[in-house]
Amino acid sequence: MGRNAAIKQYRSLPDGLPLDLFDSAEGLRPVVRDLLATPWLVRASELRRPGDGALGRRIGDPVPVSWDASSRSPAAFAWRGCLYDVVSIVQTWTVEHAWWDAESRVSQHCWRIVAASGGTYDLAFDRLTGAWVLLGMQD
Amino acid sequence: MGESFVHLHVHSRFSFGDGAADLGNLIRRAGELGMGALGLTDHQGLYGALRFYRAAKAVGVRPILGAEIVVESAGVSGEECDLPPDERLVLPASVGFGRAAGSGFHLTLLVKDLGGYRNLCRLLSRTHVRSATGQSVVTLGDLARYSEGLIALSGCPGGEVGSAVRTGRLARARAALTRLTGCFGAGDFYVELMHHLTPDAPRYVAALAALAESCGLPVVATNNVHYVHAADFRIHDVLAASSAGMRLPGPYGRQNAELWLKPPAEMCRLFAAYPQACEATLEIAERCDLDLGLGSFHFPAAEIPHGETPYSVLSKAAWRGLEEHYQPVTSPAVARLQHELAVIEELGFPEYFLVVKEIVDFASREGIRYSGRGSAGDSIVSYVLGITGADPIAHDLLFERFLNPARRQMPDIDVDFDSARRDEVIDFIYRRFGSAHVAMVATVNTMTARSAVRTAARAFGYGIDEVNALSRHLPWVSAHRLREVLASYPECRDHPLREPRHAPVVEIAEQLDGCPMHLGTHLGGFIITREPIDTWTPLQWAAKGVVVSQYDKDDVEALGLVKMDILGLRMHSAITETVALARERLGADAVPEPFELPHDDPRVYDTIASADTVGVFQLESSGQRNLNTRLRASRFEDVIAAISLFRPGPLEAEMITPFIRRRHGLEEVSVPHPAMADVLSDSYGVIVYQEQVLLVARAVAGFDLAEADSLRRAMTKGRSRAEMAHIRGHFLERAAERDVDADVASEVFRQLEGFAAYGFNKAHAACFAVVSYASAWLRTYFPAEFAAAILNNEPMGFYTPRLVANDARRHGIALLSPHVNESQERYTVTPDGAAVRVGLRDVHEMTRRLLGAVERERAVRPFRDLADFLRRTCAEAHAAESLIRIGALDGLGLSEAGRPATRDELLALLPELKATIARESVVGDDVLLLAPGPVRPVEDPSHMSGWSRARRLSAELELCGLSLTCHPLELANTDLRSRGVTFARDLPALPDRTKVRVCGVRERAQTPRTRSGKRTCFLTLEDATGLLDVVVFENALQRAGETIVKHRCYLVEGTLQNNPERGLAIVAESVAPYTVRTASGTPVRLRRGVPSGPMGPSLGGAGAAEEESWEQAEGPAA
Repeated sequence: MGRNAAIKQYRSLPDGLPLDLFDSAEGLRPVVRDLLATPWLVRASELRRPGDGALGRRIGDPVPVSWDASSRSPAAFAWRGCLYDVVSIVQTWTVEHAWWDAESRVSQHCWRIVAASGGTYDLAFDRLTGAWVLLGMQD
Repeated sequence: MGESFVHLHVHSRFSFGDGAADLGNLIRRAGELGMGALGLTDHQGLYGALRFYRAAKAVGVRPILGAEIVVESAGVSGEECDLPPDERLVLPASVGFGRAAGSGFHLTLLVKDLGGYRNLCRLLSRTHVRSATGQSVVTLGDLARYSEGLIALSGCPGGEVGSAVRTGRLARARAALTRLTGCFGAGDFYVELMHHLTPDAPRYVAALAALAESCGLPVVATNNVHYVHAADFRIHDVLAASSAGMRLPGPYGRQNAELWLKPPAEMCRLFAAYPQACEATLEIAERCDLDLGLGSFHFPAAEIPHGETPYSVLSKAAWRGLEEHYQPVTSPAVARLQHELAVIEELGFPEYFLVVKEIVDFASREGIRYSGRGSAGDSIVSYVLGITGADPIAHDLLFERFLNPARRQMPDIDVDFDSARRDEVIDFIYRRFGSAHVAMVATVNTMTARSAVRTAARAFGYGIDEVNALSRHLPWVSAHRLREVLASYPECRDHPLREPRHAPVVEIAEQLDGCPMHLGTHLGGFIITREPIDTWTPLQWAAKGVVVSQYDKDDVEALGLVKMDILGLRMHSAITETVALARERLGADAVPEPFELPHDDPRVYDTIASADTVGVFQLESSGQRNLNTRLRASRFEDVIAAISLFRPGPLEAEMITPFIRRRHGLEEVSVPHPAMADVLSDSYGVIVYQEQVLLVARAVAGFDLAEADSLRRAMTKGRSRAEMAHIRGHFLERAAERDVDADVASEVFRQLEGFAAYGFNKAHAACFAVVSYASAWLRTYFPAEFAAAILNNEPMGFYTPRLVANDARRHGIALLSPHVNESQERYTVTPDGAAVRVGLRDVHEMTRRLLGAVERERAVRPFRDLADFLRRTCAEAHAAESLIRIGALDGLGLSEAGRPATRDELLALLPELKATIARESVVGDDVLLLAPGPVRPVEDPSHMSGWSRARRLSAELELCGLSLTCHPLELANTDLRSRGVTFARDLPALPDRTKVRVCGVRERAQTPRTRSGKRTCFLTLEDATGLLDVVVFENALQRAGETIVKHRCYLVEGTLQNNPERGLAIVAESVAPYTVRTASGTPVRLRRGVPSGPMGPSLGGAGAAEEESWEQAEGPAA
């Protein structure tokens, strides 16, 4: 179907229904996922400092993550006392940068996820330290 | 086939700078991952394809050959740079090796069948050979012409389609796709999807898939593999950065490290949305079924007259040759020739022999000296055809060692030609067979410790001085031993690489071990084919300007093509020149042809036995001279033995000691079986030659020679214990059938097993011995001409020109400085044969133009003075200065003191004279009185140069690399005597085990492999009276290693070894640096200071400047 399939397949609501764009959270999710996967949205892993980027915020907090071995992706993470269940994996990517320089080396496996709360978060597994980091979130 | 995915786009280390995957590891890993097939698509060539093909077949992985080529733009007409800036696509960095490199869009090609392989070879060759100097880029016309049998994948993001999609130019992508697809047959073009886990990878993949769908093209998933394991990405980065001349991260700026050989499951997960892309890999792998038909031979076409066959022509020529070589013809020779011809016919090799014969016949007709060598000397056919020079019957050489009827292997005949005229032979080959049928063989140069350290250090951004410092003084070892060598070798004790901050360089360098660095050209290997050669192998231009195959000699042999080694042997040139110089002086009749002499001159054997063999072919090295004194050769067979014994195999097996002891009656000759006594009589019961293994197996176990050769080969190669037990059982069984006692048979087998791997090919030694005898004869009877000829043909042999010249002086031959009125271009001998005059071309700064001018003007009248010389030759100031300093104008002109000008006066005049000539175009008409400005006072009034010996010597060493005035250590005679130093000429008279102190300038330092694994350094030093052979064992080497590496002249204390069994040598206990100083305390130069000048070291006798500055090396006082 090519890219942005969910957006293309979205069927507008029949006349007479309330003006909600989506009939349910399930209907909303794939469209949001496709929107978030678009390259014009910045990845938190690409942000240098908190506040960089129009739509993204860099956070960089270490977070505990529970791992779903079957899908080989994060299942939930806790941040600032709240538990965030992962309902959808938007995209995954890796970063390997400056391996020859111990101070600026980055080696991460990143996931952009949609949490049950509706927020979109970038999580990273740091391959150098073995720790999980909440890289940032999309506003 | 495999699980669910096959990697079709894979780069190995043969992508030269853009691939870190070792072929063996790739294949092994593919097997582990359950892949039944694997592709190899290196940039712009098939460099590693044959190795990959054979290795993959051997383990049951189907090899899919291919290449990632650079192709011109397909989506627009014209060049990318002709487009408006906002419509241009950025071309990827240039890829490919040497003159096959090109910058353009990438396209992946895979070979379906033999036709496709041939087309790919033609496509690559045509592109590379056409683009001799510019970019090597495949045209769309060629792509369409040679696409049959090939499958194309649209390429990586550096392909035109990928690049256009990445930048959102879908129309351009569609146009490119349409045009590229049109170049290939229906169903032979796939759109290549790569998902490298970058943020924009999903969009890239989806766009390509949609484009493919709209164009009705199938998609295929690949991973653009550049390394085997995920962790190897660093090696790839280092190679890429280093080959691009950049520091890390190198030219590609990749965001992550995902270009590894991913398991099928992971690839399927990445392409879960496009399962057809993974299925397509299996489908393509199924369609690519290439059979190269390895094992068959493809001979070039020999000249066969109408009505004849190759065999009939060969046979007639051989019988004619037999009559010429054997007078009278003997029945063993007839029987032998019949047997060999029958085998050659049965194996289908007559054409091969005829081709070789055509080439040597040409050389013979043209008077180009040559000699065959190697196991071809085992054949009477080679001998009677004039290819080799040693009689196989007289020397007991066995045909089966050369051609084993039980094993159909390509015969290998190597011929050495006079290197000065080798190009004539090569011209003949190109003319005779056609340039479309001849190419040179490549060599693949791989990284050792030094080059690996340099590569890693450059990538890490180290400056050139630091790179040099890190790689200097590293021994020539494999890179994977780097840490071990740094920890254990004494000369590395203070090596900068041991500093912790360089640990990453060491770690990376170790992993670069054996990595192909670049493609070289084989010294003399030519492929000659019947069909056009570009249907067999891709060709490209080599740096030296010849067309070279992308395959090395092993690949060529595996393909069954004929490879001929047309090697240049400088000794042939030297022999030819010695004869010419001697005939010029004494008349043609006074000097017979050295190769036609009977091998029975006692004076020649005296020369060899006294180790007076500097310059003699194969017998001059320090180890060989030591062996000569112990062996005391008195007949030709002894020369063959000497050449065979001083080889790594016999040395490692310690064959020399029993051989010498038995020869001199110090040890009884004993063999386990009486039949061995006959076959080993020449070598006193020791198995020295490979041929003897065959003879022993025949004598004791009744093997025929073909079986025996198979047994020898089986023993030679690394066999497992079980296989060896099987071979042993077979041998014992056959011996038992002949009633040989089981214990005796076991002992014979033990000896065979012990020596089979170490024995030397007697035929090869015999062919060499013919040349050795000829050179020893010339050295004995025409020493001045021989020395001049050796110096004229440098670099050659074991020693530097400096030592060859010093040796001549020690033999009473005077060395005359170059002189503008006397010297020729090359070294010459004076009419009385007592002196050698140095040629002008070896003087630093001498140019071809100036040489021509000197010869031309001198023919009119001799040069009178410096002004006359400058005016008539227009000599450049630097060249004139060199000539003055070396003494080439000594004795010219008349100063106001009524004597010829000194060198200082000439040097003072030079700028003024040059300026005047430049201004007025004329100067000094008949002016004899020169009035230079104030100059240094005359140092040595007895010499016309006015210079002291030390100053003259320094100039000679600096500008010519020779010590003409005297040996440098002669200047230190007084000091050396006061230190109790013994000179080389006095050592033979001292008793064994005398404690001695010697002093010498290093000529060679070798650290060969020893059986025990311990390191022993063999130093060849030279003092004013001769050569000193010093052995530095492990313990002493621990202390002296650094001194040996960093200094040039040593004071050595040790014990003299002087006995018939072990010869003459000094076993060192301590090695200390020594500095030769003039009376004023200035250090004296010991080595060449400058290169030989614009004429190049290959023309000059003295070669290039030596690496370190002499100040550095000689700095610390003794």
